[in-house]
Amino acid sequence: MLDFRKAAPLKLPSDPLKALTFAAAALVCAGLANRWAGPTRKLDWTGWAPPPAAAPAAAPPLAVPQPQPLPLPPLRQKAPAPMGKVAVLPARPAAPAPQAAVPADPAAPFAAEPSQVLREISSDAALAAFRLRIPFLDARRSEDFAAGHLPGAWSVPIWEADAPARITEFEARANPEPRSPIVIYCSGGDCEDSRLLANKLVGLGYRNLLIYTGGFPDWARQGRPQEKGARP
Amino acid sequence: MIRRLLHPWLTVRAQIALGAVFVAAALPKLADPPGFAEAIWNYQLAPAWLIHPAALALPWLELLCGLALCLGVWVRPATAWLGTLLLVFLAALSINLARNHPVDCGCFHTQASARSAEGRVADMRWAILRDLGLLALAAQILAAGAYRRKEEP
Repeated sequence: MLDFRKAAPLKLPSDPLKALTFAAAALVCAGLANRWAGPTRKLDWTGWAPPPAAAPAAAPPLAVPQPQPLPLPPLRQKAPAPMGKVAVLPARPAAPAPQAAVPADPAAPFAAEPSQVLREISSDAALAAFRLRIPFLDARRSEDFAAGHLPGAWSVPIWEADAPARITEFEARANPEPRSPIVIYCSGGDCEDSRLLANKLVGLGYRNLLIYTGGFPDWARQGRPQEKGARP
Repeated sequence: MIRRLLHPWLTVRAQIALGAVFVAAALPKLADPPGFAEAIWNYQLAPAWLIHPAALALPWLELLCGLALCLGVWVRPATAWLGTLLLVFLAALSINLARNHPVDCGCFHTQASARSAEGRVADMRWAILRDLGLLALAAQILAAGAYRRKEEP
Protein backbone atom coordinates (compact mmCIF):
# COMPACT_ATOMS: atom_id res chain seq x y z
CA MET A 1 0.00 0.00 0.00
CA LEU A 2 1.41 3.35 -1.01
CA ASP A 3 1.48 5.81 1.84
CA PHE A 4 1.40 9.30 0.43
CA ARG A 5 2.33 10.86 3.76
CA LYS A 6 5.66 9.07 3.70
CA ALA A 7 6.42 9.87 0.06
CA ALA A 8 9.12 12.45 -0.52
CA PRO A 9 7.74 15.85 -1.48
CA LEU A 10 7.44 16.17 -5.23
CA LYS A 11 10.63 17.79 -6.43
CA LEU A 12 10.03 20.23 -9.23
CA PRO A 13 12.73 20.48 -11.86
CA SER A 14 15.03 23.46 -11.71
CA ASP A 15 14.72 26.44 -14.03
CA PRO A 16 17.29 25.39 -16.66
CA LEU A 17 15.66 21.99 -16.78
CA LYS A 18 12.26 23.61 -17.26
CA ALA A 19 13.65 25.77 -20.04
CA LEU A 20 15.04 22.67 -21.73
CA THR A 21 11.65 21.03 -21.31
CA PHE A 22 10.05 23.91 -23.18
CA ALA A 23 12.51 23.49 -26.04
CA ALA A 24 12.07 19.73 -26.16
CA ALA A 25 8.29 20.04 -26.09
CA ALA A 26 8.46 22.58 -28.93
CA LEU A 27 10.57 20.19 -31.00
CA VAL A 28 8.23 17.28 -30.34
CA CYS A 29 5.14 19.35 -31.21
CA ALA A 30 6.83 20.66 -34.34
CA GLY A 31 7.75 17.14 -35.41
CA LEU A 32 4.26 15.80 -34.91
CA ALA A 33 2.57 18.79 -36.52
CA ASN A 34 4.86 18.62 -39.51
CA ARG A 35 4.31 14.90 -39.91
CA TRP A 36 0.56 15.43 -40.11
CA ALA A 37 0.69 18.62 -42.18
CA GLY A 38 -0.75 18.67 -45.67
CA PRO A 39 1.63 18.96 -48.63
CA THR A 40 1.36 22.74 -48.89
CA ARG A 41 2.13 23.20 -45.18
CA LYS A 42 4.89 20.66 -44.85
CA LEU A 43 8.51 21.73 -44.54
CA ASP A 44 11.54 19.47 -44.72
CA TRP A 45 13.68 19.49 -41.58
CA THR A 46 16.77 19.91 -43.66
CA GLY A 47 16.79 22.92 -45.91
CA TRP A 48 18.69 23.25 -49.11
CA ALA A 49 18.17 26.95 -49.77
CA PRO A 50 21.62 28.43 -50.27
CA PRO A 51 22.60 31.45 -48.22
CA PRO A 52 21.31 34.49 -50.11
CA ALA A 53 24.78 35.94 -50.61
CA ALA A 54 25.51 33.05 -52.96
CA ALA A 55 22.15 33.27 -54.66
CA PRO A 56 23.11 34.20 -58.22
CA ALA A 57 24.60 30.92 -59.27
CA ALA A 58 28.09 30.80 -60.52
CA ALA A 59 27.56 28.24 -63.22
CA PRO A 60 29.47 25.07 -62.60
CA PRO A 61 30.99 23.58 -65.74
CA LEU A 62 28.75 21.39 -67.80
CA ALA A 63 28.95 17.93 -66.37
CA VAL A 64 25.83 16.37 -67.80
CA PRO A 65 26.01 14.08 -70.79
CA GLN A 66 24.64 16.11 -73.63
CA PRO A 67 22.01 14.51 -75.79
CA GLN A 68 23.22 16.43 -78.78
CA PRO A 69 20.52 16.40 -81.46
CA LEU A 70 18.61 19.30 -80.00
CA PRO A 71 15.09 19.90 -81.14
CA LEU A 72 16.01 23.55 -81.41
CA PRO A 73 16.77 24.96 -84.84
CA PRO A 74 20.40 25.57 -85.83
CA LEU A 75 22.00 27.93 -83.38
CA ARG A 76 22.08 31.33 -84.90
CA GLN A 77 25.13 33.40 -84.10
CA LYS A 78 23.70 36.26 -82.17
CA ALA A 79 25.57 39.07 -80.50
CA PRO A 80 25.16 38.48 -76.78
CA ALA A 81 22.57 40.86 -75.46
CA PRO A 82 23.86 43.28 -72.83
CA MET A 83 23.01 42.63 -69.16
CA GLY A 84 21.95 39.13 -69.98
CA LYS A 85 18.58 40.35 -71.16
CA VAL A 86 17.11 38.64 -74.17
CA ALA A 87 16.08 40.98 -76.92
CA VAL A 88 12.97 39.86 -78.68
CA LEU A 89 13.36 39.99 -82.40
CA PRO A 90 10.27 40.97 -84.28
CA ALA A 91 9.35 38.34 -86.81
CA ARG A 92 10.72 39.50 -90.13
CA PRO A 93 11.93 37.75 -93.26
CA ALA A 94 15.46 36.48 -93.00
CA ALA A 95 17.66 38.63 -95.19
CA PRO A 96 20.27 36.35 -96.78
CA ALA A 97 18.08 34.05 -98.60
CA PRO A 98 17.45 31.05 -100.55
CA GLN A 99 14.72 30.45 -97.99
CA ALA A 100 13.57 34.05 -97.98
CA ALA A 101 9.99 33.14 -97.35
CA VAL A 102 10.79 31.65 -93.96
CA PRO A 103 10.44 34.22 -91.18
CA ALA A 104 13.32 34.74 -88.77
CA ASP A 105 13.26 32.06 -86.16
CA PRO A 106 11.51 33.49 -83.12
CA ALA A 107 13.07 30.87 -80.87
CA ALA A 108 16.58 32.16 -81.57
CA PRO A 109 16.78 34.47 -78.55
CA PHE A 110 16.02 31.55 -76.29
CA ALA A 111 18.72 29.25 -77.60
CA ALA A 112 21.18 28.12 -74.96
CA GLU A 113 24.23 30.27 -74.44
CA PRO A 114 27.03 28.31 -72.83
CA SER A 115 28.35 31.36 -71.00
CA GLN A 116 25.04 32.11 -69.31
CA VAL A 117 23.05 29.35 -67.72
CA LEU A 118 20.89 31.93 -65.98
CA ARG A 119 19.46 34.91 -67.78
CA GLU A 120 16.86 37.50 -66.90
CA ILE A 121 14.19 38.19 -69.46
CA SER A 122 11.88 41.12 -69.91
CA SER A 123 8.12 41.16 -70.02
CA ASP A 124 8.00 41.11 -73.84
CA ALA A 125 10.46 38.25 -74.00
CA ALA A 126 8.30 36.32 -71.55
CA LEU A 127 5.31 36.79 -73.82
CA ALA A 128 7.34 35.62 -76.81
CA ALA A 129 8.48 32.57 -74.84
CA PHE A 130 4.89 31.89 -73.84
CA ARG A 131 3.82 31.93 -77.51
CA LEU A 132 6.65 29.54 -78.33
CA ARG A 133 5.25 27.15 -75.72
CA ILE A 134 8.46 27.23 -73.73
CA PRO A 135 7.64 25.67 -70.33
CA PHE A 136 7.03 28.07 -67.46
CA LEU A 137 7.74 27.14 -63.86
CA ASP A 138 5.91 29.00 -61.10
CA ALA A 139 8.10 29.19 -57.99
CA ARG A 140 5.48 30.82 -55.77
CA ARG A 141 3.52 29.17 -52.97
CA SER A 142 0.81 26.79 -54.13
CA GLU A 143 -1.79 29.11 -52.61
CA ASP A 144 -0.67 31.94 -54.89
CA PHE A 145 -0.52 29.55 -57.82
CA ALA A 146 -4.11 28.51 -57.25
CA ALA A 147 -5.19 32.15 -57.12
CA GLY A 148 -3.85 32.74 -60.63
CA HIS A 149 -0.96 31.72 -62.84
CA LEU A 150 0.23 31.70 -66.42
CA PRO A 151 -1.77 29.21 -68.47
CA GLY A 152 0.04 25.91 -68.58
CA ALA A 153 2.63 26.89 -65.98
CA TRP A 154 4.04 24.17 -63.71
CA SER A 155 3.70 24.79 -60.01
CA VAL A 156 7.01 24.25 -58.18
CA PRO A 157 6.52 25.98 -54.82
CA ILE A 158 10.13 26.16 -53.82
CA TRP A 159 9.52 26.52 -50.09
CA GLU A 160 7.16 23.58 -49.80
CA ALA A 161 8.34 20.09 -49.02
CA ASP A 162 7.09 18.53 -52.24
CA ALA A 163 9.03 20.88 -54.54
CA PRO A 164 11.51 18.11 -55.51
CA ALA A 165 8.60 15.83 -56.38
CA ARG A 166 7.07 18.59 -58.50
CA ILE A 167 10.35 19.02 -60.36
CA THR A 168 10.47 15.29 -61.00
CA GLU A 169 6.92 15.36 -62.28
CA PHE A 170 7.76 18.27 -64.57
CA GLU A 171 10.75 16.35 -65.90
CA ALA A 172 8.69 13.22 -66.44
CA ARG A 173 5.84 14.93 -68.24
CA ALA A 174 7.50 17.81 -70.10
CA ASN A 175 10.71 15.91 -70.74
CA PRO A 176 12.97 18.97 -71.01
CA GLU A 177 16.44 18.72 -72.53
CA PRO A 178 19.31 20.13 -70.46
CA ARG A 179 19.73 22.95 -72.94
CA SER A 180 16.12 23.62 -73.79
CA PRO A 181 14.88 26.90 -72.35
CA ILE A 182 12.80 27.00 -69.18
CA VAL A 183 11.21 30.19 -67.93
CA ILE A 184 10.91 30.66 -64.17
CA TYR A 185 8.87 33.33 -62.46
CA CYS A 186 7.63 34.28 -59.02
CA SER A 187 5.89 37.38 -57.75
CA GLY A 188 8.26 39.96 -59.21
CA GLY A 189 9.76 42.82 -57.27
CA ASP A 190 12.42 41.58 -54.89
CA CYS A 191 11.07 38.05 -54.92
CA GLU A 192 13.96 35.59 -54.79
CA ASP A 193 12.03 32.36 -55.27
CA SER A 194 12.78 32.17 -59.01
CA ARG A 195 16.49 32.37 -58.31
CA LEU A 196 16.30 29.66 -55.68
CA LEU A 197 14.47 27.39 -58.10
CA ALA A 198 16.87 28.28 -60.90
CA ASN A 199 19.83 27.37 -58.70
CA LYS A 200 18.18 24.09 -57.88
CA LEU A 201 17.68 23.37 -61.59
CA VAL A 202 21.26 24.33 -62.39
CA GLY A 203 22.24 21.74 -59.83
CA LEU A 204 20.12 19.22 -61.71
CA GLY A 205 21.99 19.98 -64.93
CA TYR A 206 19.78 22.47 -66.72
CA ARG A 207 21.73 25.06 -68.63
CA ASN A 208 19.24 27.47 -70.16
CA LEU A 209 17.16 29.07 -67.45
CA LEU A 210 15.32 32.28 -68.08
CA ILE A 211 14.09 34.31 -65.15
CA TYR A 212 11.06 36.42 -65.88
CA THR A 213 11.84 39.19 -63.42
CA GLY A 214 8.49 40.95 -63.69
CA GLY A 215 6.82 37.77 -62.57
CA PHE A 216 3.14 37.17 -62.23
CA PRO A 217 2.19 40.73 -61.17
CA ASP A 218 3.69 42.06 -64.39
CA TRP A 219 1.91 39.40 -66.45
CA ALA A 220 -1.43 40.29 -64.83
CA ARG A 221 -0.81 44.01 -65.24
CA GLN A 222 -0.36 43.55 -68.99
CA GLY A 223 -3.78 41.91 -69.16
CA ARG A 224 -2.40 38.65 -70.49
CA PRO A 225 -4.27 35.36 -70.16
CA GLN A 226 -4.36 33.66 -66.77
CA GLU A 227 -5.49 30.38 -65.34
CA LYS A 228 -6.83 29.70 -61.87
CA GLY A 229 -6.84 26.64 -59.69
CA ALA A 230 -4.25 24.19 -58.49
CA ARG A 231 -2.51 22.03 -61.01
CA PRO A 232 -4.02 18.53 -60.86
CA MET B 1 9.23 53.61 -6.84
CA ILE B 2 11.02 50.28 -7.34
CA ARG B 3 8.38 48.69 -5.16
CA ARG B 4 5.64 50.04 -7.44
CA LEU B 5 7.38 49.08 -10.66
CA LEU B 6 7.92 45.54 -9.42
CA HIS B 7 4.49 45.18 -7.83
CA PRO B 8 2.89 41.73 -8.29
CA TRP B 9 -0.24 43.41 -9.64
CA LEU B 10 1.82 44.70 -12.56
CA THR B 11 3.61 41.41 -12.99
CA VAL B 12 0.37 39.51 -13.49
CA ARG B 13 -0.67 41.96 -16.22
CA ALA B 14 2.75 41.84 -17.83
CA GLN B 15 2.68 38.06 -17.89
CA ILE B 16 -0.71 37.90 -19.54
CA ALA B 17 0.11 40.63 -22.05
CA LEU B 18 3.47 39.12 -23.03
CA GLY B 19 2.02 35.63 -23.20
CA ALA B 20 -0.93 36.74 -25.31
CA VAL B 21 1.28 38.60 -27.78
CA PHE B 22 3.43 35.53 -28.30
CA VAL B 23 0.46 33.20 -28.65
CA ALA B 24 -1.00 35.56 -31.25
CA ALA B 25 2.35 35.71 -33.05
CA ALA B 26 2.79 31.95 -33.02
CA LEU B 27 -0.52 30.94 -34.60
CA PRO B 28 -0.02 32.21 -38.17
CA LYS B 29 3.50 30.80 -38.22
CA LEU B 30 2.26 27.43 -37.02
CA ALA B 31 -0.21 27.44 -39.87
CA ASP B 32 2.44 28.13 -42.51
CA PRO B 33 5.96 26.85 -41.77
CA PRO B 34 7.18 27.22 -45.39
CA GLY B 35 6.22 30.89 -45.38
CA PHE B 36 8.02 31.42 -42.09
CA ALA B 37 11.09 29.62 -43.42
CA GLU B 38 11.15 32.03 -46.33
CA ALA B 39 10.84 34.96 -43.92
CA ILE B 40 13.80 33.70 -41.88
CA TRP B 41 15.80 33.11 -45.04
CA ASN B 42 15.10 36.69 -46.11
CA TYR B 43 16.86 37.99 -43.02
CA GLN B 44 20.09 36.58 -44.45
CA LEU B 45 21.46 35.76 -41.04
CA ALA B 46 20.72 32.16 -40.16
CA PRO B 47 22.88 29.45 -41.70
CA ALA B 48 21.10 27.22 -44.20
CA TRP B 49 20.96 24.18 -41.92
CA LEU B 50 19.21 26.17 -39.21
CA ILE B 51 16.44 27.77 -41.28
CA HIS B 52 14.02 24.87 -41.58
CA PRO B 53 14.33 23.55 -38.00
CA ALA B 54 13.92 27.10 -36.69
CA ALA B 55 10.86 27.69 -38.86
CA LEU B 56 9.30 24.49 -37.53
CA ALA B 57 10.17 24.70 -33.84
CA LEU B 58 10.28 28.42 -33.06
CA PRO B 59 6.51 29.00 -33.37
CA TRP B 60 5.86 26.09 -31.02
CA LEU B 61 8.31 27.48 -28.50
CA GLU B 62 6.53 30.82 -28.70
CA LEU B 63 3.15 29.18 -28.27
CA LEU B 64 4.14 26.98 -25.32
CA CYS B 65 5.99 29.75 -23.47
CA GLY B 66 3.18 32.21 -24.22
CA LEU B 67 0.56 29.81 -22.87
CA ALA B 68 2.67 29.10 -19.78
CA LEU B 69 2.92 32.83 -19.06
CA CYS B 70 -0.82 33.37 -19.53
CA LEU B 71 -1.57 30.48 -17.19
CA GLY B 72 1.15 31.44 -14.71
CA VAL B 73 3.05 28.15 -14.71
CA TRP B 74 6.83 27.90 -15.01
CA VAL B 75 6.89 31.66 -15.37
CA ARG B 76 10.61 32.21 -14.99
CA PRO B 77 11.90 29.79 -17.65
CA ALA B 78 9.11 30.80 -20.03
CA THR B 79 9.96 34.48 -19.60
CA ALA B 80 13.63 33.71 -20.03
CA TRP B 81 12.91 31.99 -23.34
CA LEU B 82 10.70 34.78 -24.63
CA GLY B 83 13.23 37.39 -23.53
CA THR B 84 15.97 35.50 -25.37
CA LEU B 85 13.79 35.30 -28.48
CA LEU B 86 13.08 39.02 -28.27
CA LEU B 87 16.80 39.75 -28.08
CA VAL B 88 17.37 37.57 -31.14
CA PHE B 89 14.55 39.30 -33.04
CA LEU B 90 15.90 42.70 -32.04
CA ALA B 91 19.37 41.79 -33.23
CA ALA B 92 18.07 40.40 -36.54
CA LEU B 93 15.95 43.49 -37.24
CA SER B 94 18.68 45.92 -36.20
CA ILE B 95 21.36 44.23 -38.29
CA ASN B 96 19.19 44.30 -41.39
CA LEU B 97 18.16 47.88 -40.73
CA ALA B 98 21.79 48.85 -40.28
CA ARG B 99 22.84 47.22 -43.53
CA ASN B 100 19.87 48.76 -45.30
CA HIS B 101 18.26 45.49 -46.26
CA PRO B 102 14.50 45.88 -45.84
CA VAL B 103 12.83 42.62 -44.84
CA ASP B 104 9.32 41.57 -44.01
CA CYS B 105 9.15 41.13 -40.27
CA GLY B 106 7.54 37.70 -40.31
CA CYS B 107 6.42 38.52 -36.78
CA PHE B 108 2.65 38.20 -36.97
CA HIS B 109 2.09 36.89 -40.47
CA THR B 110 4.13 34.99 -42.99
CA GLN B 111 2.99 36.44 -46.29
CA ALA B 112 5.42 38.74 -47.99
CA SER B 113 3.92 42.19 -48.02
CA ALA B 114 3.71 44.02 -51.32
CA ARG B 115 5.25 47.09 -49.74
CA SER B 116 7.93 49.40 -50.94
CA ALA B 117 11.39 49.35 -49.41
CA GLU B 118 10.62 52.54 -47.46
CA GLY B 119 7.43 51.01 -46.10
CA ARG B 120 9.34 47.97 -44.97
CA VAL B 121 11.99 50.07 -43.26
CA ALA B 122 9.25 51.96 -41.41
CA ASP B 123 7.71 48.62 -40.38
CA MET B 124 11.07 47.40 -39.13
CA ARG B 125 11.48 50.50 -36.96
CA TRP B 126 8.07 49.92 -35.44
CA ALA B 127 8.85 46.26 -34.90
CA ILE B 128 12.03 47.21 -33.05
CA LEU B 129 10.10 49.59 -30.81
CA ARG B 130 7.47 46.93 -30.16
CA ASP B 131 10.10 44.35 -29.30
CA LEU B 132 11.75 46.79 -26.90
CA GLY B 133 8.40 47.30 -25.18
CA LEU B 134 7.88 43.55 -24.90
CA LEU B 135 11.42 43.17 -23.59
CA ALA B 136 10.54 45.68 -20.86
CA LEU B 137 7.59 43.45 -19.87
CA ALA B 138 9.87 40.41 -19.72
CA ALA B 139 12.38 42.37 -17.62
CA GLN B 140 9.62 43.40 -15.22
CA ILE B 141 8.52 39.79 -14.74
CA LEU B 142 12.03 38.52 -14.09
CA ALA B 143 13.06 41.45 -11.89
CA ALA B 144 9.86 41.31 -9.84
CA GLY B 145 10.42 37.61 -9.20
CA ALA B 146 13.98 38.19 -8.06
CA TYR B 147 12.90 41.14 -5.89
CA ARG B 148 10.15 39.12 -4.21
CA ARG B 149 12.50 36.28 -3.45
CA LYS B 150 14.96 38.70 -1.90
CA GLU B 151 12.33 40.46 0.23
CA GLU B 152 10.58 37.37 1.53
CA PRO B 153 12.88 34.38 1.42
